[in-house]
Amino acid sequence: MTDSLLRIDDLHVEIAGRGRTVHALDGIDLDLAPGEALGIVGESGCGKTMTALSVLGLLPHGGKVTGGRILFDGTDLAAAPEPVLRNVRGNTVGMVFQDPLTSLNPTLTIGAQVAEPLLLHTRLTRAEAWAKAEETLRLVGMPRPAERLRNYPHQLSGGMRQRVAIAMALICEPRLLIADEPTTALDVTTQHQILELIDELRARLGMAMILVTHDLGVIARRVDRVAVMYGGRIAERAAVRPLFATPRHRYTQALFAALPELPRPPLGGSAPVTGADRPLATIPGLPPSLVTRPTGCRFAPRCGFATDICHAAEPELTDGLDDTPPAAGAHAFACFHPTDPAPGAEPAAEILPPAPARLPVRTDEPLLRLADVSKTYPLHGGPFARRKGAAEVSAVAGISLTVRRGETFGIVGESGCGKSTLGRMAVGLEAPTGGSVHFGGRDLATLTKRELRAHRRDVQLMFQDSYAAMDPRMRVGAVLREPLVIQGIGDRAERRRRIDGLLDDVGLPRGAVDRYPHEFSGGQRQRLGLARALALTPSLVVADEPVSALDVSVQAQILNLMRELQREKGLSYLVISHDLAVVRHLADSVGVMYLGKLVETGPAEQVFARPLHPYTRGLLDTVNAPDPDAAQAGSPLGGETPSAADPPSGCRFRTRCPAATGLCATTEPPPAEPETPGHRVACHFPLTAGAVSTG
Amino acid sequence: MIHFLAKRIAQALVVLLLVSVIVFVLLHLLPGGPARAILGVQATPEAIAHFNHQQGYDRSLPEQYAMYLGRLLSGDLGESYKLNQSVASLLGERLPKTALLAGLALALAALLAVPLGILQALRRGKAADYVLTGAAFLAYATPVFFLGLVLILVFSQQLPLLPAEAPQADTVGGLLADLPALVLPVVTTALGIVAAFSRYMRSAVLDNLGEEYVRTARAKGQSEARIMARHVLRNALIPLATLLGLYLPTLFSGTLVVESMFNYPGMGLLFWNAAQGSDFPVLLGVTLVVGVATVLGSLITDIAYAVLDPRIRSVT
Repeated sequence: MTDSLLRIDDLHVEIAGRGRTVHALDGIDLDLAPGEALGIVGESGCGKTMTALSVLGLLPHGGKVTGGRILFDGTDLAAAPEPVLRNVRGNTVGMVFQDPLTSLNPTLTIGAQVAEPLLLHTRLTRAEAWAKAEETLRLVGMPRPAERLRNYPHQLSGGMRQRVAIAMALICEPRLLIADEPTTALDVTTQHQILELIDELRARLGMAMILVTHDLGVIARRVDRVAVMYGGRIAERAAVRPLFATPRHRYTQALFAALPELPRPPLGGSAPVTGADRPLATIPGLPPSLVTRPTGCRFAPRCGFATDICHAAEPELTDGLDDTPPAAGAHAFACFHPTDPAPGAEPAAEILPPAPARLPVRTDEPLLRLADVSKTYPLHGGPFARRKGAAEVSAVAGISLTVRRGETFGIVGESGCGKSTLGRMAVGLEAPTGGSVHFGGRDLATLTKRELRAHRRDVQLMFQDSYAAMDPRMRVGAVLREPLVIQGIGDRAERRRRIDGLLDDVGLPRGAVDRYPHEFSGGQRQRLGLARALALTPSLVVADEPVSALDVSVQAQILNLMRELQREKGLSYLVISHDLAVVRHLADSVGVMYLGKLVETGPAEQVFARPLHPYTRGLLDTVNAPDPDAAQAGSPLGGETPSAADPPSGCRFRTRCPAATGLCATTEPPPAEPETPGHRVACHFPLTAGAVSTG
Repeated sequence: MIHFLAKRIAQALVVLLLVSVIVFVLLHLLPGGPARAILGVQATPEAIAHFNHQQGYDRSLPEQYAMYLGRLLSGDLGESYKLNQSVASLLGERLPKTALLAGLALALAALLAVPLGILQALRRGKAADYVLTGAAFLAYATPVFFLGLVLILVFSQQLPLLPAEAPQADTVGGLLADLPALVLPVVTTALGIVAAFSRYMRSAVLDNLGEEYVRTARAKGQSEARIMARHVLRNALIPLATLLGLYLPTLFSGTLVVESMFNYPGMGLLFWNAAQGSDFPVLLGVTLVVGVATVLGSLITDIAYAVLDPRIRSVT
């Protein structure tokens, strides 16, 4: 292979720290042709980011390449001295990182940061470099680039910051762009815009790309080939279509099965959407720690197909045809018991664990009712913040919804749409500035302090980051006991019994009581979070992004657990998430929020199958389906969400709406049910069946 | 930026007014009142009553405060009981000298602490870091008077390099003319500050080196030295700026000891002597000055903050 741009041979990386060494990469082979796009997928800790960082010699403190070669354009970067590496970095290889806020220097102007690589790698003067920086900002779709040069990072939105980061990586016109989770920290619609931008620039500049991500949806339509990593090794590597169509490694197969899928609404049609009722396949257990080199296949302890050989010998990458090492472009996998590629040979049921299906809602009894609820915050602090006419942020504006007993209500929206504020008001942690919150028929505003405390038993919160929500110095037993003590429930023995029961319910060993939160993995912490929420046997659990911080395989475990507990205990959930697939999977009813407004609400399958609001439609069109052949349906959303401090007049969505007219600017659309009862939409021009056929 | 400054200065003025109220109250808490303090324990009740009437001390408190504030604004801080001179003129003489001592010490401290902190951060966990950390804790834990004595003993007794007494000139220029004599007072004042500042600098640099923007700079091909100078330094100076302003009052208590030890003719020595002789107007005058310095210190901190950190500037 002389024509490859980047070739990684048997790369080994170790990271030393705190008296132990992590074998982060253990024999990675990759190959990238000029102009080609390679996706590296895997869950956290699999080594995908380390692979990307080692190319540029940017391994974290304590990390070093202990074996293998990284040939870039004929130079072995793994052995190259620092000055050679510096000349490659930012020059022929550009890199974009995950979080655009923290990866920009807060105290330097955009211009200084974008022009910096030019000043390092070319002989351009400062003025010339700034002129090129302006040009590059224009290239990455930054509005008013000349003005932006003098701005600081905090003055830009997340999406705009990521455009700046991309401009920085591209300004020297590199031959290879490495993007490490470039859209993970962004909203769905922004994510889509950034990925489109990268695609377009790649085609225009003819550069190769390595796209590192945990998100199979992101990678499906953006790369030519994919490498799936697990436990510091490559599990499977193939062109994108064969990989998605017939994954051969058992891990890849399990990863796909664990993904909650979002059925795409057929354009204008009304085909019934099913599939959300099936439980998700889970991968039991946890990824290996890599402190000790595992013997045998790294996935064997979690694999349902593992036999003795899997535990004894380490499988090498093979194309399954003969014993020679597979060609760089071949579909290769490192598995002793690969899937059978023949069509229909792998019934999905085989890898599905017995998990509960969703039960229909049994009652119509309203449990939580929000009536015209609003919440505004003063924009500035201080004693005069509440005076009339002072600047305010309208976080939630006039929302009405009902959660029935035993039902799961999903709230979907992008960051800053007010969904978390809504959740806090539902729990009673914050009082609405307008409207009322009724729980079990009683208005929370009328409750006395004592009644409010009793009410808290009935409604509990589950957080995105359960670790941050637990006192790190309290043992798990104390964490779970605290709500019981506060509410004065039971004596010592009774509490002990309940805690044991809770741990059994969420699938943690009873011995967990004596351990501290930091000793648990992300998924286990989320189980703890759920156990704590359930300690007081509430009737409603408000779950704010319950699985956003988790890997796909662990996410499936938690989603299944939540549903199982709902069935056992008759719980209601108010699930708040930016992830449409998660909400679709869990929810009976959904509400779609945009900039503090509930734009559409109704039974989940109706809203997802036949969205009536252009925003809902846009969100669904924007989602990256994990399918390389999925055509981009309809029109994904452009633009950015306006500030909640100064929301647009009339319909708040009109600034981004393709169908907006003068009416939308002057009059706020009232909620209506144009199609079926219970499916409400706040839009002057809803996407009804009639509108589609005539318009 | 202008709006931000105007707002902060307005806030500082309010605090200064409160400082004047506190000093006013202290004036009235003097044992036996000002009359007893001035006229002495032998004074007859008639003499005291006469004095109080003459000075306006028999009027209502708000009235007295208004009078006090009026005098304050016209620069009248009262008369020293002992030195037969107005407090204002005493402070006018002594304040610049203390400011010189404090300023030189602060400048020296910053000059030493910033590079030391950077060095320690870069050599984290290596010998240089441990040695400097040990030295910093030693310097930090040593009382100023002991440190001064040791320095005098070593540099003026054992090795007669520097004089043990500060220059005795009347003007700032005169003090500066005798630089060798300034060395020991300045160094004594500065050492503790160097210790504290270098610790802060070390951890600020370490924090920033771990930031992702540093990784971005490396990914651009920037060298480690330029990353430090161009990216890390400014961000690491932000916490130090806070410390600098908050150190002004601490610095004064440091100069109090140093000035009396080296017989430096500054405000600290004035305060020391006034305290020995119960010269209350002088003590209160100095207290007022320290109060003002404290307020100014935090104002300077805020301004430095705004200059260093663009995020503060845009929050009005």
